[in-house]
Amino acid sequence: MKNKYIAHFEKQQIAEKEIPQFRAGDTIRMSINIKEGEKVRAQNFEGVCIAIRGEGVSRTFTVRKIGANGVGVERIFPIYSESIVEIKVLRRGRVRRSKLYYLRNLKGKAARIKELRKDNK
Amino acid sequence: MEYIVEKIGMSRTVSVPSVPVTLLKVVETKVCEVNENGSALVSYSFGKKSNKPIEGQQKKYNLSSEFNRFTTLSKVNNSEAGDLDLSPLESATTVQSSFDTKGRGFAGVMKRHGFAGGPGAHGSRFHRRTGSIGNAEFPGRVQPGQKMPGQYGNTRNSVKNEIVSFDKEQGIIVLKGSVSGANGKIGRLKVVK
Repeated sequence: MKNKYIAHFEKQQIAEKEIPQFRAGDTIRMSINIKEGEKVRAQNFEGVCIAIRGEGVSRTFTVRKIGANGVGVERIFPIYSESIVEIKVLRRGRVRRSKLYYLRNLKGKAARIKELRKDNK
Repeated sequence: MEYIVEKIGMSRTVSVPSVPVTLLKVVETKVCEVNENGSALVSYSFGKKSNKPIEGQQKKYNLSSEFNRFTTLSKVNNSEAGDLDLSPLESATTVQSSFDTKGRGFAGVMKRHGFAGGPGAHGSRFHRRTGSIGNAEFPGRVQPGQKMPGQYGNTRNSVKNEIVSFDKEQGIIVLKGSVSGANGKIGRLKVVK
């Protein structure tokens, strides 16, 4: 358990943030602020969330996508980071574990995730 | 201005770039006597220690039984006895905090001085040893200041940190960066700027 003063300090920072509910297996798209010299612009990143870990302000999630030439690209973001402008959940996936690291060893059709259908909930 | 603080622990901010922070809590302190040079005899609570001399001091300064520790702060903002004045912390930007470092006991040279040590295997027979400390012929003695095993840690260390925020209600000071010592240790805090 975290110390109550640390928990309070972290809660204060997180309080105003609105983050949509998502879990491993969900396909998400987010826009991230990127600083290029003086300019700040938003860049999109879309992929499957394969892990959420940590707690409090240091909670992070990992997003995996297949880039050009079939190269896997993974990026890790702090959920409450100020550089994340928006997180959009595009598709809920039906998965049976909270860490989908096995996707790294799968290719093509095998690496697909079934969509979660509401009637099996 | 000097204060007695307890190290709470570390966290981080969500800003970009993220800043590592240390939380300190200002220990509730009563001023007993203010000296002419601005220093003061103060009392705070730590543990449950009590004996007749402590009880006598508590009676003398009208303190409740929790205030069982007495010490001197080099400078206080109070002009008379009472609760310690925390207002200088609100305008402070930089502070110097002094804590005892974590004690590591009698430590070898690898841990204490960062020596490289020897190979772990292949019959080397030289793993974490000190090595030679002075030659036979020249200088034929051990140089003063030679790095050797010994007590490591549990010494006072001071660092200057910027203040990120100060919560007066809870008495929590948030500093940028780290301070020495284990969580829960009592230390001193001086306002630099």
